[in-house]
Amino acid sequence: MGDSTNRILQRLIRRIPYQMLQTMFGKWAHLSREDLHSLDFTQPKWVLTEHLLALCEEKGLTVKHITELEMIYIIENPNQGMWHGFQLLDAEEDAPSIELTQFKEQFKANLTELISHVSIKIKKHTDEAIWIRVAWGDNFTKPYHLKPTYVVHHLQTPYVFVTGVTSKHKPLLNQALVLATRYGSMKDAHLSGRNLTAIRDLLMRQYQQVFPTKHPKPLQEKNPVPRNPNIEKEQAENTENRLQMACEAFGDGTLPQMQKAVYKLETKFRDNSNKTLTGREEPFRGVVEFASTNLLESLRHCVSSGMASTPVTPLLSSITQKGRNYFVITDKGV
Amino acid sequence: MSLLKPFSKLPGLNTANILLVENEEQFQQKLADTVVLQEKTVNVNVLARSLPLPMENEESRPRIDLVVFIIHLTSELSFQSAETSLKYLDPGYFQGKVCFLVTNARNVSVPPERLVSVRKLAASLHCPLLCAEDQTTEGVTTAAHRLLAILKVAAGLVPMATGLYLSTLTRCTVPSDIDQQNFE
Repeated sequence: MGDSTNRILQRLIRRIPYQMLQTMFGKWAHLSREDLHSLDFTQPKWVLTEHLLALCEEKGLTVKHITELEMIYIIENPNQGMWHGFQLLDAEEDAPSIELTQFKEQFKANLTELISHVSIKIKKHTDEAIWIRVAWGDNFTKPYHLKPTYVVHHLQTPYVFVTGVTSKHKPLLNQALVLATRYGSMKDAHLSGRNLTAIRDLLMRQYQQVFPTKHPKPLQEKNPVPRNPNIEKEQAENTENRLQMACEAFGDGTLPQMQKAVYKLETKFRDNSNKTLTGREEPFRGVVEFASTNLLESLRHCVSSGMASTPVTPLLSSITQKGRNYFVITDKGV
Repeated sequence: MSLLKPFSKLPGLNTANILLVENEEQFQQKLADTVVLQEKTVNVNVLARSLPLPMENEESRPRIDLVVFIIHLTSELSFQSAETSLKYLDPGYFQGKVCFLVTNARNVSVPPERLVSVRKLAASLHCPLLCAEDQTTEGVTTAAHRLLAILKVAAGLVPMATGLYLSTLTRCTVPSDIDQQNFE
């Protein structure tokens, strides 16, 4: 194994937390049972790394095998790094009938045509998602494995999630994806976050949604707290209405864990008390950012407790309705 | 304007009713539960967010003996909502049947002017001002205990004491130098 391969393996082991190492190695097909037993998991990590390096040297493992381990780790823990959502547009006739082998061949062929030195690994996960790992090189250098790009695509859906791609390689990746999935183009869905499961659930609407009804009080199926007959709530109907509207806008139960919503304002300044800024022709540029550990949960609580006025303003409800968290607001609308 | 009137209904035997008005609707539930626990024979609590109370419940609502406005000093909206709700009370209530309860008075991030304005409001209406701590159970129990004491007098369950008499003793006063807060 070369020097660079050693370095890649070392970096990878350093990245994986100690508790997960044993499970990860168990899933990696290249270490047999006896090898696993021979590794002592009570030693400090650097000692373990040395043993592992020696073991891999003995077996003649290459970069390809190490990248498999990295992929296993990332698939198990996808919620790191910044994921961006993209949407594919203009489906051609055979787009819904693409299947895995066809997609794989097409993607590999397209990308290797565009850049000759690129390392691609495609894997299908149990929940119907295709994971692609791409390490980029250029026409003269070998692929650089320390900064790979990961792409997640669910076949037959027009959504793609990408992390770790630089602006130099983005158009190439886009082109390869568009051709392989038989769509016309790909656009930015303006949705990004650290938590892949959250942005996937938000974009593909996989959380519990509440639909508007003409006959309210559908939320009473939950266990009602036994009411004390001595305590009467006067404005209970208002509270129920607010809760209903909050759940309609944001969903019920556990919500996808978004961290940020950014609104970029390009509207004119409109406050009559400030004479210097009002009445200027060019728009007043500002950025409003909402940040929280669980943004949708906080917004839903704001609405149901009455802090935000109901009906829910479309600026906030578009986070869930349109599945975005970056908005540019101009005077004509969002 | 639908005013809440103090003496338009007959009182019940051995009952006293307290109305807790709070914009955020959080402290009132805890307080109501504690008040009901502490005094088993007596009361009925009514919880509201702001006045005026909805007309549909007019018939079934019992006679309210004490109205408590819960103001969280951390929020300006809380104070404003309480001020607007005051307009819907019949003046008969202000003779010992209204009380102000304030939370977070010791909080450093609260602007001191807000407490001053609540005190001025309470003093102008001749009502008592209580400070409560809503995060711990002891704080809630203490506040419930004090409210029960005032409630019993306001409902006429304590012999020889009326709400008006008690309020002259407990009403909030604002010393004249409160606007100059100097610590010399």
